[in-house]
Parts: sequence; structure tokens; C-alpha cells
Amino acid sequence: MVDVLILGAINSAVYAMLALGFTLIFGVGRVVNLAHGSFYAMGVYIAYTLVVVLGLPLIVGTTAAVLAVAGIGLAMDRVLIRPLRHSVLAVLIITVVFALFVEQVIFAFYGYTSRNIPSFTTNTLTVLGVTVAGQRAIAFAAGVIALSLVWLLVYRTRFGSAILAVSQDREAATYLGIDVDHVSRTVMVLSAALAAMAGVLVAPVLVVSPQMWVLPLIKSFAVVILGGLGSIPGSLLASVLLGYSETAVSRFVSSTLTELIPLVLILVTLLVRPSGLLGRRIEL
Amino acid sequence: MSRTAPGVAILVALALVPLAVRDRYFLSVFTLANLYAAIAASWDLLSGYTGRENFGHAVFIGTGAYTAALLNTRLHLSPVLGIAAGGGAVVALAILVGVPTLRLRGPYFALATLAVAGIMERLALLLWPLTGGEDGVYGVQPLSLSAPTTYYTTLAFMAIVVLGLYWATRSEWGMVLRAIRANEEACEASGLNVTVYKMGALVLSALPAGLAGGLYAHVQEHVGPAVYSAALSVTVIIMTVIGGIGTIYGAAAGGFLLTALGEVLRGFGPYRLLLFSAILLPVILFWPRGVVVQLAGRLRRG
Repeated sequence: MVDVLILGAINSAVYAMLALGFTLIFGVGRVVNLAHGSFYAMGVYIAYTLVVVLGLPLIVGTTAAVLAVAGIGLAMDRVLIRPLRHSVLAVLIITVVFALFVEQVIFAFYGYTSRNIPSFTTNTLTVLGVTVAGQRAIAFAAGVIALSLVWLLVYRTRFGSAILAVSQDREAATYLGIDVDHVSRTVMVLSAALAAMAGVLVAPVLVVSPQMWVLPLIKSFAVVILGGLGSIPGSLLASVLLGYSETAVSRFVSSTLTELIPLVLILVTLLVRPSGLLGRRIEL
Repeated sequence: MSRTAPGVAILVALALVPLAVRDRYFLSVFTLANLYAAIAASWDLLSGYTGRENFGHAVFIGTGAYTAALLNTRLHLSPVLGIAAGGGAVVALAILVGVPTLRLRGPYFALATLAVAGIMERLALLLWPLTGGEDGVYGVQPLSLSAPTTYYTTLAFMAIVVLGLYWATRSEWGMVLRAIRANEEACEASGLNVTVYKMGALVLSALPAGLAGGLYAHVQEHVGPAVYSAALSVTVIIMTVIGGIGTIYGAAAGGFLLTALGEVLRGFGPYRLLLFSAILLPVILFWPRGVVVQLAGRLRRG
């Protein structure tokens, strides 16, 4: 039982890192970024290139990878999303095409064979009698710190107020003198960096392949649907629910069924409460 | 110029293709183009008319293809029966998918359909003893040994689908679909059973895609998990948007022309989709109604 409590908390933190950026982008720009999972995948593969292929120290390589993905997020906002923002369909198409493109580029360099990313530590530690891989513990700690920082940014700073204002009413925020484009851009960078960070933190304990953008995208989607699109507290709550239900199912039922949980969550939420647990219905 | 004249002229021209083109390879490209034209038109019926952009149209193509291929290779059913059974399976699947998803719209619907396609692709790989996993199903019986016969079969199929869908969208029923796209609440308030109309559009959109998938299996003599891929769903969307969304004929023309172009660009392999999107960007920015539709409008005005 205790192992489910601990592993579930770790999974929840990782899902929250993925979903928070996804929901922030949606809230601020009404943009559904189908390339969100690609940030995660790019983080992993850039880190792999820097650390394993080029031999940089692990901490340098992973930090550089997160920064590089943040830069890619910035470029994506500039070149692809901003010119097309008026059309929901165009943004959906262009972001999914970008995701497929990234998959092809990764495939061109590394093929479909899965790769191993070195861990930050091979030590294990024992929490309440449960042995936890050190890498998972680091992922949890880093995740909680990153999420707390984002929380403070959004709810305790002037810039955070601007983010919330733009999420509530883009036009009104413009009238108040908020630089809406700057807010959207920054949120995109933040979201790309968070997803890439989640990637480099959990990659050592996962299968790494060019298609690894799909599952994180579906999980981010499940979390924000369950929590309510655009709601930050909602996505944190939903991350915990998803993290724990996956851990519990893989522990007590079967680990092959865990992939179906986000899909079931999506379907049930859409049927029973389409606005999500803590969301308000957003008309598009 | 009457409305039907250009359509008839194009069909006659396409019927003459095998007389002009003796090369088997080119004829197979045109055969494929017929199928893509029908698929793009079928996507357009749901997505262009009710405003629900389906990002998982491959679900229907793939299910039609796998059903036909498996019935043919395992149970030795004739192609016609297998393709028809695929169509039946796709209709059932469309209703199953439609019940939870059709109440959604915009990005919600897009993501939900993308997720469904993801499940199907995963199932095709997980059920490898049945589906052959990554390799897929080989040894599907060819539709016909003669390339012109295969071409004419797909041309007839495409003509029936495109004309049928075009006629459906011009009918009163099609008008209701457009009304739903414009204002769903108003349609409901005026006493229309919106759900029935949406479900009808989904089924009528799924069926041709499923049949085209079955034909595809017998034309290619092979089916692999790529028929469920997001890349295929997105390709169909791009074809429609480039040709002209919400017109059926623009979608069909986009499907036909881009398939032919795609074959010219074969050397680019996996980067074809990227080239399509490079064409897509200026189209969305400068001709949002679609290239074919814009040109047709210009011709009509003279």
C-alpha cells in the first residue's frame, strides 16, 4: 500500500509538470498545442545528444537541453502559432504537423531503436520502508520545486496577474495595457521548458523512442480535460488523480492496462462533466 | 456555365485516362488519387459542414482496410464481401465513437478523435497475432489483375461518393448541417434533433472512408498500422483545406491533386507531409477558402 502512495506521488508530480504548461497555453491563447508532447521528446533527445553522443557532463547537458527546448518553444510561437491564431483548425494542424516532423527528424538521426539516458544517480533510498530509485526521487523533488515556482509566479507576481487576466478575457486585458503577445510568448517558453524538464527527469526510467511524444500528449490532455481546460488548480488535482490511479492499477491489476486509464478518464469526464472538475465551460 | 458541366467534363477526362496512360505505375497513382479524393470528400462532410474537425479520420480508413484484409486472407472472403463488411464495421464504430464525442466541438472534438485514433493504432500493434503487428497483413488478393479495371473501379467509387455527398450537402439535410455549424443552440431551440443530424453526418462521413480503406487494402495488397496513423488523418485534413473546406468538390480535388503531387515527390519519403504543410501555410493565410474553390469561383465569374 505504502509503495502506491509514494510512487503515485512521483508520477503525479511528473504529470503535473506536463499538464501545467499545456493548460497555461490553452488558458492564455486558446491554443491547443498538439506539439506539447514533442517538447518532452525533444528535451530527452537533445539531452541524449549532448550527454551520450557529445560527452558533456550530465547536469550541463540536461540544463542545455531544457533551455534549447524553451528556445524552440519561442520560435514556434513566433513562426507558427501567432500568424495562425485566428483559426483554431490551422493551429491544430500546424502543431500536429510539427510534432510529426520532430518525430521524423529524431527518427532520421537515431532510428526507432530505443535509447538509454543515464540517470542522475544510481543510488536508491528507502522511504517508509519502500525502496525508491534515486532518479525518481530527484524527479519528484525537482518537479515539486518547479511547480511551486510556477505557482508563485502565477499567483504572487504582477506578471502572474497578467497571465490570469489574459486567460479570463484577452480583449479586456489588452485594454488594460497588458502586452498580450508578450504574455503568450512567455507562457509558451515556460510550458516548453517544463515539458522538457519532465522529459529529462523521467527519461532514465522510461523507454525512449521517436514516438514518445504521443503518450505525454494524451496524458496532458486527460489531465486538463479532467481538471478543466485552462484551470491551474484543476490540472494539479487531476494530475494527482491520474498519477495515483495509474500507479494503483499497475500495482494491483496489470501494468499493460495503465495506458488505457487516461483515455478512460477523458471519455468519462467528457460524458459526465465536460467542463472538468474545477473548470468553467469555455466556448470556442 | 451550368453547375454540373465542369463536374461532367472532369469525370469524362478521368474516364479517358487509361486510354492515354499505358504505364501501370501512373495508372496506380491515379487509382490512389481516386481513393484519396473520396476520403477527403468524406472528411469534409462531417468536419466542413458541422464544424467538428475530425483529427482521427484514419480510424475509419484503417478499420475498413483491416476488416477487408483480414476477412480476405483469413476467411478467404471475396473482396466485394470483405469491403462491404468493412463498411458495416465502420458504421458500427462510428456510432460507438460518436455517442461520447459528438457533443464536443472545436479542440475538444479534435483531441478526442485524435485519442481514438491513438487507441486503434495501439490495438493494431497489441493484437499482433491477428493483425501482424508492425508488419501488417500481407497477401491480400488484388482487386483485379488488370490495372485499368482497378482504376475504373476506384473511379466509379469516387464518382459515386463525391456526387452523393455533394448532393447530400445541397439537400435540405445539408442545409441543417450548415445551420448546426453556424449556431447549434438556435437549431436545438427551433426543435431540430441536432444529435440525429450530427450522427447522420458522422456515419455518412465514416462509411465512404471505410469502403475506401477496404479498396485500398485490395489495391495495395497489404495493410499496415500506418492506416491508423495521425499522419494519415492529418494528410486528409491538409488535402481538404488546400482544396477548399466545406464544399465537397474542393476537398475531392485537393485529395486527387495532392496525391498525384505526393507521388511526384516520392523521393522525399517521410518529408512529404512537411511539404504539404509548406503549401498549406500560404493557403490558410491568403486563400482561406481553398485553392480549388477560389479558382473555380474565378472561372465561373469568367
